[in-house]
Amino acid sequence: MKHLRRITFGLALAASTAGFGSTASAANICFAFQDLETEFWVASHKAIVETLTEMGHSVIERNANEDVNRQLEQVRDCVAQGVDGIILIPQDGESAVTIVKEATSNDVPIVVFNRPPANNDNGVIVVADNAAIAETAAAFVLEQAIAAAPADAKLHAVVIVGDLGDTNAIQRKKGFEAAVANFPDRFDVTEVASDWDAATALANLEAAVTAKPKIDAMFTSSDFLFPTIRSVLEPRGMWKKTGEEGHIPLAGLDGDATACKLIKEGYVDATGVQDLYFEAEASVNAIVKAIEAGETDPNEVIADPGFALTSANLAEREMDMWGCKLLAEGFLDN
Amino acid sequence: MSSSLVPRRELKDKAVDLLLSDQFVLYLSVFYVLLLAPFLPMLVTPANLVNVLSNMWPLLIVAIGQTFVLAIGGIDLSQGAAIALTSVLGAVLITGAADPATFANTPIWGWLLTDAGGPLAGVDHGVVLAIAAMLVAAVIIGLINGMAVAMFAMPAFIVTLVAMMIFSAFALWLTQSGNVANLPDDFIRLGRGDIVSVYFGAKEEAKIARRAIYSLVTYPMVIALFVALAAHVLLNRTVFGSQVLAIGMNRKAAEISGVRVRRIIIAVFVLSAVCAMIGGLLFAARLEAGRPTLGGGTFLLDVIGAAVIGGTSLFGGKAKVIWTFFGVMFYVIMASSLSAMNLSAFQIDMVKGGIILCAALLDVLRTRLKRERVR
Repeated sequence: MKHLRRITFGLALAASTAGFGSTASAANICFAFQDLETEFWVASHKAIVETLTEMGHSVIERNANEDVNRQLEQVRDCVAQGVDGIILIPQDGESAVTIVKEATSNDVPIVVFNRPPANNDNGVIVVADNAAIAETAAAFVLEQAIAAAPADAKLHAVVIVGDLGDTNAIQRKKGFEAAVANFPDRFDVTEVASDWDAATALANLEAAVTAKPKIDAMFTSSDFLFPTIRSVLEPRGMWKKTGEEGHIPLAGLDGDATACKLIKEGYVDATGVQDLYFEAEASVNAIVKAIEAGETDPNEVIADPGFALTSANLAEREMDMWGCKLLAEGFLDN
Repeated sequence: MSSSLVPRRELKDKAVDLLLSDQFVLYLSVFYVLLLAPFLPMLVTPANLVNVLSNMWPLLIVAIGQTFVLAIGGIDLSQGAAIALTSVLGAVLITGAADPATFANTPIWGWLLTDAGGPLAGVDHGVVLAIAAMLVAAVIIGLINGMAVAMFAMPAFIVTLVAMMIFSAFALWLTQSGNVANLPDDFIRLGRGDIVSVYFGAKEEAKIARRAIYSLVTYPMVIALFVALAAHVLLNRTVFGSQVLAIGMNRKAAEISGVRVRRIIIAVFVLSAVCAMIGGLLFAARLEAGRPTLGGGTFLLDVIGAAVIGGTSLFGGKAKVIWTFFGVMFYVIMASSLSAMNLSAFQIDMVKGGIILCAALLDVLRTRLKRERVR
């Protein structure tokens, strides 16, 4: 089944590639990514590499292990090796600007996957509407908190923010703030820094929960922090399912398999979903198209509208979420 | 019988000469490239050689600072933190704009950093003033390290480990992990500016592709070579350098001989932090942002590894800047070749670790061979 799904995805991509002209001749494509720490990056990496390989292209993989300087050097190496195009997952928005400039100034087309540069002046940028997705997911749990509280009671919401050098983290924070702004004077907000690091998030969340244990709603900027949240809340008796006394309405963003499982179990109420397969397909198509057309500096933003999977729409939209698909394939059983 | 023994002994002597030669790692680098070139032809392409050089300069400067500390038998684990802190400080002072979404919650927002940038943004000689401020910060870090080691006889390992924790956390706290971009062109040029570029091709080409133009002389190259030359003179041609090596060989003997050991130790740690700051300046300029995470990860492995591969002893008393130069060169060539083999970052780090271990074993062997020769 898993193999069949992969083939279907590959065929779909091959078909869509054929749509803009003849199938690309085998190209050398450099895939430079910052790490493979979370489910999202693992699944993205797999989708991109398998698709490119199935299309007959050779892929030069470069893992920077979260080191921006190393990633810059790796991209320079790729350029020196004469690659035809680059797909980049940068560490943050600022380094993305520098690396994209490095590629385009050397006439190598580049596509930035999911994590956009601080400006959109160069390259093809495939990115989810993080602010809108975050706002939808956060609004769902804030509404639940308000519904469960006495009228006009002041409530306490916790937001776990990512590395604010990353545009996605900023947009997700803005989305959460927009959701809170819809309920003026109802929420006191505690901001917990994670720097996209589970250990940092754990330490800061421990401190925040100890300082102010009454929490009415919580939003994490990435689903990969749900296990961290659980490890803080569970020992304090605050990790409860929907309907149980003391349940904290909880939302995240990414749409990974863990989030899907936790929504089904009732511990999590919503997650903003980035359409990983759409983004991977758009990235692969964009780089192949640029190589075919001989474009050295294609410049375009491809938006992934995304959506929020909630406990309310789980039955209808479950299989639209990449994490639920992976869960169904036994991803978490490995 | 005796006639066959003589050439064998001569051969052995020549092998020992080679092993003990200052240029041993240079020969090793050339041999390594020649060995791999038939399988990885990209290694000897002009584009790759330019890359290797470009990656070498900032690392060389930081490794030179580490060489001085290793020479006194110490180690400086705080170089990465010095890079992070000074790069953030310099960038905050000269940035032309800062996003409130990223920096509004930082302790420097409003009085040092605003949405219009830092206090030296657009100021005449602002870049020079920012570099001066970075230098002062580096000197302070070096003084703290040096005084703790020299005055309180604390182990350099612990002192610089603590300094690493404190200063890298301080850098993160200052910007709440945000990267400070929008740096002026004058600053960025220091990290990636060409002074002389070359093109190999037909003269009549109307438009030359950028990837066909190779940087030959760059600002980082000039800065690194200047630092290397100055450090070489200081370590290997002055009384100060002799005293540094004397402390590394035997601190008590150096004290008895009248060497002002404490002052030298403090000066060495200051030098190390200043070198880290200059290397960090080049890293920040090439990445076009001051970053509180610069110098993190396995960066120290690269720095210490390059110095040790060059032949600088971890036990002190044995160091030359030219060794570090060749060590950095070998290290960068090795990283480039491993990358060309499509190995993952983890595999590359494992190989690097193995090579550093081999270099440390080689150091033991060279020391023994030298001792045997003296006898």
